[in-house]
Amino acid sequence: MIEFKNVSFKYANADSGSLQNISLRVRKGECVLLCGQSGCGKTTLTRLINGLIPHYYEGELSGEVVVGGLDVRDIELYDTARIVGSVFQNPRSQFFCVDTTGEIAFGCENLGLPPDEIEERVKLSSREMGAINLLGRSIFQLSGGEKQKIACASVSAMRPEVFVLDEPTSNLDINAIHDLKETIRLWKKEGKTIIIAEHRLYWLTELCDRVIYLRNGEIECDMPMREFCRITPEGLRKLSLRTRSLKELCYRKVSSQAGEYLTLQNYRYSYRGSMPPVLDIQEAVLPKKGVIAIIGNNGAGKSTLSKCLCGLQKRFGGHCRCGSAVYSRRQMLKKSYLVMQDVNHQLFCESVEEELRLGMDGADEKELVRVMDSLELTALKERHPMSLSGGQKQRVAIASALLAGKEFLVFDEPTSGLDFYHMERTAKLLFSLGREKTVLIITHDPELIVRCCDYVLHMEWGGVKEQYQLNEAGLLKLRYFFENGERKRISVE
Amino acid sequence: MFTNTTTTRKNSNRLAGKDLINVGIYSAIYFVIIMALAMTGYIPIMMPLLCVIGPLAGGIPFMLFLTKVKKFGMILIMSAIMGIMMALTGMGLYSLPVALVSGLVAELIWKRAKYSKASSSVLVCGFFNIWMWGNFIPLFINPDGYFSTRTEFGAGYEAALTALLPSWMSPVLLVSCFAFGILGGLLGRVLLKKHFIKAGIA
Amino acid sequence: MSLGILQTTGQQRGMILDPRTKLLLLITVSTFVLGGLGGEKFSSVIPALCLITLILLLTAGRIKAAVIYLAAYLAAWLAALLLLPQLSGPLYFLVLGSVGIFSRVMPGVAMGVYVVSTTTVSEFTAAMQRMHISEKIIIPFSVMFRFFPTVGEEFSAINAAMRMRGISFGGGRIGKMLEYRLVPLLTCSARIGEELSAAALTRGLGGNVKRTNICCIGFKMQDVIFIALCFTAFAAVALVYLGVL
Repeated sequence: MIEFKNVSFKYANADSGSLQNISLRVRKGECVLLCGQSGCGKTTLTRLINGLIPHYYEGELSGEVVVGGLDVRDIELYDTARIVGSVFQNPRSQFFCVDTTGEIAFGCENLGLPPDEIEERVKLSSREMGAINLLGRSIFQLSGGEKQKIACASVSAMRPEVFVLDEPTSNLDINAIHDLKETIRLWKKEGKTIIIAEHRLYWLTELCDRVIYLRNGEIECDMPMREFCRITPEGLRKLSLRTRSLKELCYRKVSSQAGEYLTLQNYRYSYRGSMPPVLDIQEAVLPKKGVIAIIGNNGAGKSTLSKCLCGLQKRFGGHCRCGSAVYSRRQMLKKSYLVMQDVNHQLFCESVEEELRLGMDGADEKELVRVMDSLELTALKERHPMSLSGGQKQRVAIASALLAGKEFLVFDEPTSGLDFYHMERTAKLLFSLGREKTVLIITHDPELIVRCCDYVLHMEWGGVKEQYQLNEAGLLKLRYFFENGERKRISVE
Repeated sequence: MFTNTTTTRKNSNRLAGKDLINVGIYSAIYFVIIMALAMTGYIPIMMPLLCVIGPLAGGIPFMLFLTKVKKFGMILIMSAIMGIMMALTGMGLYSLPVALVSGLVAELIWKRAKYSKASSSVLVCGFFNIWMWGNFIPLFINPDGYFSTRTEFGAGYEAALTALLPSWMSPVLLVSCFAFGILGGLLGRVLLKKHFIKAGIA
Repeated sequence: MSLGILQTTGQQRGMILDPRTKLLLLITVSTFVLGGLGGEKFSSVIPALCLITLILLLTAGRIKAAVIYLAAYLAAWLAALLLLPQLSGPLYFLVLGSVGIFSRVMPGVAMGVYVVSTTTVSEFTAAMQRMHISEKIIIPFSVMFRFFPTVGEEFSAINAAMRMRGISFGGGRIGKMLEYRLVPLLTCSARIGEELSAAALTRGLGGNVKRTNICCIGFKMQDVIFIALCFTAFAAVALVYLGVL
């Protein structure tokens, strides 16, 4: 179905992600997992299959890529679209329409199919994906998982022979991953050829037949899944791969830090026009020092909690007590900092150094140097923040928060789309931050939690479902949650 | 082995999907900025000022947009969209023809500059922003149509309008759109060099 | 910051008019009320058009918009009636001019609010396709509406980030205030736009076949009535100019 003959590619304006001398054959009906470190060329490989290279991303290409008997270089993107369907990483940015029905129909409309047939296909593929109840909705009211479902339905309605998925779970919660797994299983049953580039491996072991490991743009190994499953956990670490099974998770023993507690009181919030409050916590007591993981499904109120904590929600009346001090919303705004999932939102200046000085209280040069050193930013201080890599940007944001004297640091999905090496680095950094500050992490990444968190706050339906220390017993609870998810909240009309 | 290496930049002059999507995206950003500023225009005194701050702020996204324009028609389409949006939001129909003319001029200049010359890009920005002037045309022509003799204010209104927006203001506003469009373009260029090129998006 | 322009789903819209009818109504209101077409003789058309706008807003369930429109319009008239006689000199001119401009612009804007708040993006694109407008306009147009909420989301995220850093007001400098907002806004939007393009292209956008559309629009009885009304108004003007009336 897919054949690469001595393919090499280099992007016109970037060094990373280039491919060297790839030869590869994928038979019809195979389900292939592409893995490897960030920048190893996984995404580039998927782009060669769906024709985005060479037709959208520019660069130097040699060799031959044949998909379904056609050379992708010779046929236009809209013709490749008939054979290859693609699902991307970010559910927010892959929509063309504003309503779900239109979105599922979009691909078929482009093919110029008659409206009656499109209606048929929209119904059929949304039924297959379990997205019937999502029809006729505004895209902007959907959760990440629901958006990804619509994306799959939209591609599926075009009935391509090959499906290419590029890190489809980066922004998904555990239930959504489960749904996606079912979708892929269905495609597999229909005999489609499926290529998945992914960092998270644990949901794919029973799905994929074959694993291709890339390193620095070359295929290092290509083996059946059975063989891949025999690699020891240590072997996986060496390959810088994420865990294959959640059973392998073990936690980091921390001497519990004695002492102070933080009490959140009257944490209630409802958005305008929505009746049941999205956040409804009468009182919650959390350890003041340490790293706290906030887990729960999409819509459980995690992001609302983080926004309230940082004092960003305007009509929020709750407060935060710490010893004898009581912090109001305004004071929390001064004391806390949210490192957003898209860090680009919080970088404003021309150079890293200027960025760090902005918002610093007094110009404490020594402190500036110390923080820059500890976060390995000294060498980067002249660079434009937006030109840095994702991890570096994150560190700039952290540094700016530390220098502004923030005490509560909240992270929203700090490791989405990171490979093992970068995830572990982030975990170490978060752990060390937690020795001095209160660090809260909203995450769907169990591997990150076991590596840096001391405490887990499990949210459900806007309230606290459970909260526990991450010890032997806590680990079991955590593992149970990530293996089984939760029954979904019944959508209220 | 590397005999059939190809550089994949394509030079088709037909507007492709990618170009049309770019037009849409930058129109959205530009329009949101202009609309946010136009909210101040509900205070009538501020209205003429829109010909100053509109082009000035709009120049920033527009200059970034220009770095994506390599084919004939993209600026013209953006102008047309602005005209249609004005008609849709009830600001009258004059913006559309004005936008088409100013857009075409901008388009031709940018084509002559081979879609790359820095100094021309600023000029292009100036011409593009003239569409805003179209919104003011109905206030200058036919001022008697509204109040006329139905009320005692008829004559007074004409005089008041002439006082507030005297007819010589019309060319002044036109020039202001153009001049501040150029200033906005210069501002956009500064930010382009300072941020967007380094960020790798220009 | 949500821009209520062209809503996404078609719920609660009362009487459904074809988008093309709405456009015609909008054009009629803009030319007569804002443009002052027909001069004095047609000044009686203006209140009628204002009333139609109000009724349409009410039938569409835009009660709030209708009330604001009515209140603003009445306030302008009251200001003219009660306030003006008390004033003199430049202030008189200022208030009178403002009231005049306001009451001319307002009905057109209200009709605009009606049109964009009761039409979905897909209806609008379908209407443009029926009017044989080029895909080169339709595609950017629909991308733009897809992108408005995104710009809003990005903007509020950036605003939140600025508040946490305590730089909402750019340290008092307007230039910085603008720069800090626009730079991340443009960078993020450009990135999202690139991903959006890639996703749309892999689903066959820009092909050489004619796109189809599953949205059904069409003229109904109510459309015919409104179209007839608009044409009567224009025809009357034409007849006046020709000297028949």
